Amino acid sequence: MPLGMAVYESGGAQGFVYFPIDSIVSLLYVLEDGASTEIAVTGNEGLVGISLFMGGETTPSRAVVQSGGQGYRVRGAVLRKLFESSGEVQHLLLRFTQALITQMTQTAVCNRHHAVDQQLCRWLLLMLDRVSSNEVRMTQELIANMLGVRREGVTEAAGKLQAEGLIEYQRGRITVLDRPQLEARVCECYGVVKKEYDRLLSWIAPQGGASN
Amino acid sequence: MQANRLLAALPRKSYRDLLPGLAAVTLEFGDVLYEPGARIRDVYFPGRSVVSLLTVVDGHSELEVGLVGCEGMVGIPLALGVDVSPVRALVQGGGAAMQMSAAGFRQAFNASAPLRHGLHRYAHGLMAQITQTAACNRFHRVEARLARWLLMTRDRVGSDQFRLTQEFLSHMLGVRRVGVTHAASDLQRRRLIEYERGNIRLVDAAGLEAAACSCYALVRQRADKRRGASVRKRTYGRRQ
Repeated sequence: MPLGMAVYESGGAQGFVYFPIDSIVSLLYVLEDGASTEIAVTGNEGLVGISLFMGGETTPSRAVVQSGGQGYRVRGAVLRKLFESSGEVQHLLLRFTQALITQMTQTAVCNRHHAVDQQLCRWLLLMLDRVSSNEVRMTQELIANMLGVRREGVTEAAGKLQAEGLIEYQRGRITVLDRPQLEARVCECYGVVKKEYDRLLSWIAPQGGASN
Repeated sequence: MQANRLLAALPRKSYRDLLPGLAAVTLEFGDVLYEPGARIRDVYFPGRSVVSLLTVVDGHSELEVGLVGCEGMVGIPLALGVDVSPVRALVQGGGAAMQMSAAGFRQAFNASAPLRHGLHRYAHGLMAQITQTAACNRFHRVEARLARWLLMTRDRVGSDQFRLTQEFLSHMLGVRRVGVTHAASDLQRRRLIEYERGNIRLVDAAGLEAAACSCYALVRQRADKRRGASVRKRTYGRRQ
């Protein structure tokens, strides 16, 4: 799943469900005028394409690969069948869905109430939890699209975090130098979402792969 | 009495099986049905009532992330196998609802495929609403958001007139009271609404739709489409 690949477009029908392994997919809401904002991210803790088993058919968001890597894909019809026939599969997928709802909800609030540098901290931590390294490859322009703010806003926020020694930013790459400080700096939204994911998806081993 | 549409769309048999567990209740304006992090004891199928789903942030500020009326159910986490509510559920339009205990609901949910399908589909729609709200909060002006919110409320209450305080609106929209006052007087000056002592009346719904951001029309279109699809897909007899 290469960086920038559109896993699905808003309103479009989906044929496959994707299970990221070491890739990360961003769910973006794109407005009519082209402005966009990220609603949720999904890595190896989940799947992309819940409409296929929730029965909603199409979705208002666009799913784009935000960090390239591998993933499995399963034909929608196959997953739907499994969802209907296996209580365990259904249970697992639905719990993930509830965790995703929590992430979306918190993003809505964060968008409204928190400063860009705090949102950037949240975004970086969500990424780090899913890449298993301390480095995120990303341009400021893409981050601006994710957070739904202007590029200057991201430059300013990243500059602040860099001056405080929390991150190092160079040419499309952000290295997190001081994760504990980043966690101290972030708004509560990160913790709320993380706690909920840990609670709801506790049976999933940290490196992915559901335990049986 | 306005019926809950999720229940009304169930096949006769599923509905009959559900009946013994349903109790008709009246929800009062300002009632808190769920607190964030607390166990869900009952689910609610609103008839005329309307319930706001609010996220609490920084201990005090609230923001509405979803609105549930006769098209839905309050207690969706239970339909997803989770018994704790992440949000506060606050009655913002008093009226009738059907109440069911969490245990009763779980049993009915496991026994009835049509109920499961209806609720999963509805949960997906609710996610679309949350998505839209997140984007709307980020990009749209408070006047446009207020107009959207009033229209969404009207669609659920089924009336052009309802009770509201500015403080309440400020929580819903996540802005300070001054911002709400400004936006409300702006809409009033344009003769789209009348606002007096906590009572709001929509005077010009078409004008209000024009003043609302595109989010209102989008969510509504999707909901209509969903309903259309569910009617087409129904294979067995229909209650009513």
